[in-house]
Amino acid sequence: MKRSSFIVLFYCLFLLLFSLLYFWSSVADAKVRPTVYVVNYPLMYFAQRIAGDHAQVVLPVPEDVDPAFWKPDAAAVERFQHADLILLNGAGYAKWVSRASLPRRKLVDTSAAFHDRYIATEGGATHSHGREGEHSHAGTAFTTWLDFTQAAEQAKSIRDALSRLTPEHKDEFAANYRALESDLLDLDARLSAISSRRPAPPIIASHPVYQYMARRYALDLKSVMWEPDAMPNDAEWKNFVELHQRYPADLMLWEAAPAPDIAERLRKLGVQSTVFNPCGNRPENGDFMSIMNANIEYLQRNFAH
Amino acid sequence: MIDSLYIAWRYLAFNKARTATLIGCVTLLAVLPLSLDLLLAQSERELRSRAELTPLLLGAKGSALDLVMNGLYFGDEVPELVSMASVSAIDDAGLATPIPLYVRFHAREFPIVGTTIDYVDFRGLEVAQGRLPALLGEAVVGAEVADRLGISAGDSLLSSPETVFDLAGVYPLKMRVTGIMKPSDTPDDRAVFVDVKTTWIVQGLVHGHEDLTRTDDTSVVIERSGANVVASAKLVEYTEITEANIDSFHFHGDPEAYPLTAVVVVPHDDKSATILRGRYLDGETPHQLVVPGEVIDGLLATIFRIKQVLDAVILVVGFATVLALALVFALSIRLRQREIETVFRIGGSRSTIARLLAAEIFIILVASASLSIVVSLIVHHYSGELVRAFFIR
Amino acid sequence: MIRVESLAFSYAGAEFHLRIPEFSVEAGERVAVIGPSGSGKTTLLNLLAGILVPQEGQIECAGVRVSSLSDCDRRAFRISRIGFVFQDFQLLDYLNVLDNILHPFRISEALRLTRHVRERAAELGRQMGIEDKLHRRVDHLSQGEKQRVALCRALLPSPGLVLADEATGNLDPRNKEHILELLFASIKAHNATLLAVTHDHDLLPHFDRVVDFSNFRSAA
Repeated sequence: MKRSSFIVLFYCLFLLLFSLLYFWSSVADAKVRPTVYVVNYPLMYFAQRIAGDHAQVVLPVPEDVDPAFWKPDAAAVERFQHADLILLNGAGYAKWVSRASLPRRKLVDTSAAFHDRYIATEGGATHSHGREGEHSHAGTAFTTWLDFTQAAEQAKSIRDALSRLTPEHKDEFAANYRALESDLLDLDARLSAISSRRPAPPIIASHPVYQYMARRYALDLKSVMWEPDAMPNDAEWKNFVELHQRYPADLMLWEAAPAPDIAERLRKLGVQSTVFNPCGNRPENGDFMSIMNANIEYLQRNFAH
Repeated sequence: MIDSLYIAWRYLAFNKARTATLIGCVTLLAVLPLSLDLLLAQSERELRSRAELTPLLLGAKGSALDLVMNGLYFGDEVPELVSMASVSAIDDAGLATPIPLYVRFHAREFPIVGTTIDYVDFRGLEVAQGRLPALLGEAVVGAEVADRLGISAGDSLLSSPETVFDLAGVYPLKMRVTGIMKPSDTPDDRAVFVDVKTTWIVQGLVHGHEDLTRTDDTSVVIERSGANVVASAKLVEYTEITEANIDSFHFHGDPEAYPLTAVVVVPHDDKSATILRGRYLDGETPHQLVVPGEVIDGLLATIFRIKQVLDAVILVVGFATVLALALVFALSIRLRQREIETVFRIGGSRSTIARLLAAEIFIILVASASLSIVVSLIVHHYSGELVRAFFIR
Repeated sequence: MIRVESLAFSYAGAEFHLRIPEFSVEAGERVAVIGPSGSGKTTLLNLLAGILVPQEGQIECAGVRVSSLSDCDRRAFRISRIGFVFQDFQLLDYLNVLDNILHPFRISEALRLTRHVRERAAELGRQMGIEDKLHRRVDHLSQGEKQRVALCRALLPSPGLVLADEATGNLDPRNKEHILELLFASIKAHNATLLAVTHDHDLLPHFDRVVDFSNFRSAA
């Protein structure tokens, strides 16, 4: 064999061996990477920021479904059962959890640290059996992450859970958490700054999902139950007008952009529509931080007006 | 000797009832202590192994034995109840993993074990067919349950009322069987495993019904006061959980107050176990944290003392039986005097008579020994099932 | 065949005493022994068979001094050289006909149960007319059939002397004649000697000699 051919062959073999080793290590690494199942996108974002490549984070909710009201079938619950870690939001988020069989030792209630600060929802109906019977549970507001200090506590809970799961990456998780906490507290500072500049103007929300945000950032918020893509009926408009008379808000928060005809009719009533996306599910574009930053920016703009 | 055996065989075969009685008595005399020994040894093995695999068990203060028998072997005696708050307390301590157990109800004669998925991993159980329960109302059954009831994944199983005449009590719940467990030769084979929340449904603490805020049937509503609707007893609660009604199932009261019969506590390490045990030694606490192995040791020591008494009784009874058998033989000889005289007159000797009787005794002993061996082998083969069916319940 | 001299026998603690100065039976003779009850007829048979031992005198059977033999030798002699036929047959209910016939060969080491013996037993049964009943239980047989089984048992060892104690006592008249015919025919066929105790005077003409036990006079 010629010398040159030998050299070429040697290098090919070397490359092949290197590729195999790389593939093997990535497969091996993939095999030992723990699987973390979450119930909403904010938890997914926090877990991915903290865990990095050291965990596979899964949100099995379809993209067009609100995770708070998702109803998994038995097969989906089974996938949760096989996860290494299950991150729950707490505060009654994802009602399906109370009707499913999940391994307790893998469950982490990320908002347990501030469960004494949950907000009960207003106007929720309860019932009891007989006059002496105990009441069923009233509702609890569950968009806990919209108070960014609470979001940071939820992220801390995720850091601790991941550190228990794979203690060898504890330091990396701590560092990643500090970076995430810094970003969340930055959001908190910006939103606090907006609402502190002037007396809180009245705001109407399309859905009662901003309770924690309202409490934390001293927003004067009232809610209706409107969908962004469904024109309210006459009775609903009448109720809105009556509410607006008592509560002359010039800003309405929407989870998603309202249909143009709804926005136009509101504008005629002197109410500007703006989007504050709670980001419960994966966004079409961007991520949690970019969405929240955009939310704050829209709010800032509207407050400036 | 062959001829003596032949004549003895003919005599015994002619007097079937007497022969069967004699063989039965001797067999019983041999088999009883042997079987008792076998079964007790097997009981000891099963009790010990299961207890040693369970590090700690939390329950209400009271009989530690009832707690262990119900929590480990799903015995019929239901101990004093504890609440879910005790599980949260273990969780909050961060020293162990708690696995709740609510073993109170039955499906036919099989115990319904309300627990979490963690129990399956803890006991090293595997699914042979189907899958573990994923939703409320689903159940996975042990191998023996599937065998005896002839059910498989996809079938349904009704829970049994606590008492036949408890008309206002626990309603039967129709559970969906999602899987069958592999045989484990433990009490788990006889269990119907459900999520602990499903047992609360069986009890009626969690239930589902039509939405009272939207119902047209005014007869189910007593009054509406503020945001609360008071339902009447006419309101029908669902006895089966389906995809259509699962969302209607809800809790009343504080779930932390919901009942359990025991909590399996799996400490993270020995130090955690010691710390935990220390915390529950306090006389003020309404709970007890027991080491199942120690409780079972106590039980086995008591069983051993009882066995010694039983052995003495069997010895005395055995002696009396031998005397009775000897009397039977003596009377038999007297009854056969004419036959003996014939043998003697035609040329047989006293030793001939002795040989014939000895041959009869020999045949009876051989038959009894053979039967004893067969019965002992059967008992040995089924000792596990017998112990689980009759002793450990 | 039989020689008895100066025989004296009594049962311990009993009033009975038997004294026979002299008594003999020739080989092949058919002798009937009669006498009142309690005169010692059955005792004589038991003495001849070696079941009992006289206090005085000699008993010789087929050239053997039975009275001088040991217990074991007397039993061996009895089972192999003497055939006993009893009034109440003394068959064993739990054995079938064939096993009853073969019984002596099963209880004594002096006799060996061979194939030849089994064939002879079957032949005897044929001669007695019970060959189709060999595997039946004896309690299913008539009185006459039972006595025929007893005859087969007595004759199977080919004894030189047959002792019959009221062999026809439990039979009806027709069977008596029949059994006696069979007995005599078998005795003749086996060249045996017959000593039969009987109360039935109707049968006496069939015998060669009658011995009256009440006074020991021989009547030809």
